[in-house]
Amino acid sequence: MNWVRELRRLLKEARGKRTDDPDGLEGGLTCQEAADHLQEWLDSELDEEMAARVGVHLETCARCYPRLAFERAFREAVERAARAEKAPPDLKARVLQALESEGYREE
Amino acid sequence: MSPPTDAERTFREEVLPEIDAIYRFALRLAGSPAEAQDLVQETFLRAWKNRDAYTPGTRARSWLFTICRNVFLRGEERRRRHEEIVREQSGQAAGASEAATGDGEPDHAVFMAVKDRDPEGTFWAGVVDERILAAIDGLPGDFREVVVLSDLEGLSYREVAQVVGVPEGTVKSRLFRGRQILKKELHEVALEAGLLDRDAPEPRTSEGGEP
Ligand SMILES: [Zn+2]
Repeated sequence: MNWVRELRRLLKEARGKRTDDPDGLEGGLTCQEAADHLQEWLDSELDEEMAARVGVHLETCARCYPRLAFERAFREAVERAARAEKAPPDLKARVLQALESEGYREE
Repeated sequence: MSPPTDAERTFREEVLPEIDAIYRFALRLAGSPAEAQDLVQETFLRAWKNRDAYTPGTRARSWLFTICRNVFLRGEERRRRHEEIVREQSGQAAGASEAATGDGEPDHAVFMAVKDRDPEGTFWAGVVDERILAAIDGLPGDFREVVVLSDLEGLSYREVAQVVGVPEGTVKSRLFRGRQILKKELHEVALEAGLLDRDAPEPRTSEGGEP
């Protein structure tokens, strides 16, 4: 799809020179529209066209970019906390033992 | 001894390796490591007995989350039947969740509160893991399970909807609310921990993206 490629090119070009125009319509979206899609965009739940437009807006709009960075920092912290937790080492052995009493066999 | 059937091989190769993810989910549901371990064991026993119901190559993890959740809820139901008091408590919990979600509050309340001090939210990185996990554990159950499945385990809205048995729209609204509550809680934690300056001037609400 050509317009997707075009949007990607624009995004690349615009990185590093974020606009501060309050009426900026990066990606053809207003700041409010972009903000309304922020969560779904980060969740990768938008269709390709909308995802490209929202991405261009959030990454290049000086007003919206902090909100994006803010949300990302929040999510990274939550993921980091979750990853820190591991199953106890003997849990797998315990589960295998229970399974074997129900007919499961290791190789 | 007969050679393993396809279902047995699938169980070994696709289902068993998900034990860490199931443990994390069980821990957030049950709240204590001991209960979580029992829950994991029961989940895998059930999965084994129903191994023919699993289609190879689909997400074993989602399937296991569904089983784990059902086992957990059944246990909860049993507990509830035996303890009359619990009914009161769940009534309180529902009330608390109502208050905590603060109907009508804009999604970006915390962002607006800190944007003049730390607009890109670098303070989040300073909040310790234990406080984050405790805040997740403190979410009302309906919010907690979608936040865990989505943000900790990476399931899509659709996959979460299948596990929880509600429409995708419900997943979305619970997820957004759940994150909002978490942000509010952890913002407080950050203030207490001195990660943000309490005395900084409050942002003017007349500017910015307030609807
Ligand atoms: Zn904008």
